[in-house]
Amino acid sequence: MKLAADRLLGIVLIGLAAFVAVQAINLEVPFSYDPVGPKAFPLGLAILLAALASVLVVKPGTNEAWPGRQLGMKLLLVLATLLVYALLFTKLGFIITSLLAVTSLARIFGTSWGKALLTGVLMAVVSYFLFAHALGISLPSGYWLEPLL
Amino acid sequence: MFDFLIHGFDVALSPLNLGLALLGALLGTLFGALPGIGPINGIAILMPLAYTLGLPAESALILLAAIYTGAEYGGRMSSILLNVPGDAGAVMTTLDGHPLAKKGLAGPALGLSAVSSFVGATIAIIGLTLFAPLLAEVAVMFGPAEFFALMVFAFASMAVMMGKDPIKTAIGAVLGILIGTVGVDSSTGVLRYTFDLPELYDGIDFVVMIIGLFAISEILLMLENANRKDGNDGLPPLGRVFVSLKEVMACKWTMGRSGLIGFIIGILPGTGASVAGAVAYTTEKRLSDKDNSFGTGNMRGLAAPEAANNASAAGSFVPMLTLGIPGSGTTAVLLGALMLYNITPGPMMFSERPEVAGGLIASLYIGNIVLLALNLPLAGVFARVLTIPRWVLVPGIAILAFVGVFQLHSNLAAIYLMLIIGVFGYLLRKLGFSLAPVILGYVLGGLMEQNLRRALSISGGDLGILWQSGISLGLWIAALALLLLPWLLPKLWQAKTSKA
Repeated sequence: MKLAADRLLGIVLIGLAAFVAVQAINLEVPFSYDPVGPKAFPLGLAILLAALASVLVVKPGTNEAWPGRQLGMKLLLVLATLLVYALLFTKLGFIITSLLAVTSLARIFGTSWGKALLTGVLMAVVSYFLFAHALGISLPSGYWLEPLL
Repeated sequence: MFDFLIHGFDVALSPLNLGLALLGALLGTLFGALPGIGPINGIAILMPLAYTLGLPAESALILLAAIYTGAEYGGRMSSILLNVPGDAGAVMTTLDGHPLAKKGLAGPALGLSAVSSFVGATIAIIGLTLFAPLLAEVAVMFGPAEFFALMVFAFASMAVMMGKDPIKTAIGAVLGILIGTVGVDSSTGVLRYTFDLPELYDGIDFVVMIIGLFAISEILLMLENANRKDGNDGLPPLGRVFVSLKEVMACKWTMGRSGLIGFIIGILPGTGASVAGAVAYTTEKRLSDKDNSFGTGNMRGLAAPEAANNASAAGSFVPMLTLGIPGSGTTAVLLGALMLYNITPGPMMFSERPEVAGGLIASLYIGNIVLLALNLPLAGVFARVLTIPRWVLVPGIAILAFVGVFQLHSNLAAIYLMLIIGVFGYLLRKLGFSLAPVILGYVLGGLMEQNLRRALSISGGDLGILWQSGISLGLWIAALALLLLPWLLPKLWQAKTSKA
């Protein structure tokens, strides 16, 4: 029998419930004014979650199709783009990183390099002026720009 | 008793707030019309804007509410023109809306849906004005035990009404509540689920949660249909732009009935526009479909769900404003936004913060008129939004998400957390979860625990206090009945028919 995604999910959730419960039990409470304290609520939730997840294991529902290989690659590319965007955001500054991120995303979403690059330049510059000047949000300008300003 | 409304119009008619209602209506319609972006995503993406502008609470709420109602208007565009509902609430609109567009009546269909939305929303806003203060007066008597029972009822109602799979709805809500427990426990100072990360001590921030869960997961989900041409090849001609008075008058009772249905369903916690649209459509089909033309482009079949959609949006403000329990996923987001301003919506809001409650209700009246005025002549312009390709849309959402989170926290940890929550949201959606229960759980969970602990402090730990009063007992019974009904009804029905 193929392991249905819902079954696997149910098992993962039961694991999560156990983790939540163990963490709650191990909380060190110095002194509590109320009779319940911080442990009971998460503990109750963990029990409820485990019960609901067991239903899922016994009676799994239907799932949507999971992305195939090609789509999975694209998905990882999008995530990688967003991650790099975040990593470099303060180092290279808003304009440069946005240009790179927008170009990369536009390319992944299926347009040509030329159009992607044009979108990147336009979106990065226009949004910088909109956010930084019109709305007064302080955005990172980047270490490379600071000596020039 | 309508002092709050007069005061509210004072607030809502100030130039700033009037401008914000206009801006929100415009932005909401545009975002609602964007392919694949429903009201809740629209609000999630635009919410940081309200904070950036440094608005006072009532102005921020007016802006967000205008975006909400605007997005409900905008959502019909892709339903009617492309047969692609922007969110669950617009599914019923496709049934007769798209056939009308195929007949070359796209223009009148858009016009009629704008008028129906207006009528439905107006009925519900009047209902809200009359009903909310009364409910608030009852709710003043609620103690912590009653509130706890009310939240249990809200979750029960949500599990039964929302989504196809009650178990997954319930799991989603529990996960949401658990996410809400991260951070320092307010009454004992104990750190829960922070894993020694100082960034988590204050809990998972609301804006980070909303943007991650909705905007980032939406980007990932859009990848699947990236190759589908959005409207470029399939946008039907609008035909004549205005709907005739005769066509509108033919639907007047439909709009009235559906508006009322939508309002009542909107009040029930946890049930949103999708249920309202479906109930109104089936009711209308039964009542007035004489020639069996529903589903083939009947004007009434379009007017019913549209009136109900917008009525339920306004109706869902009733429990949010009076009880602090949101009636839909979108009002849950609004509730969280209010809590960022240290305002806990509830029965005291009408007396303590009348400018917020009254200002919001008054701005709904104004926003609704603005929306009708915008949508009738500009339908063609808004329809062009549908042709924006994804390779422009997605990077735009990404920039808005990054700027929105960064400007609130100025640190990268918040952005990483947003991305993690985005992946989590994507997985949930792929696994057949709807995100509304998660967000409802996240917003309500903290209040639920506080009320539970407060009630048990009063009773000294005796659980009996939770169902001691008539109100709380009634709510427990109602919650139990709701949970058992879908399972019991078919059996009762069978027993009855087998006897006969």
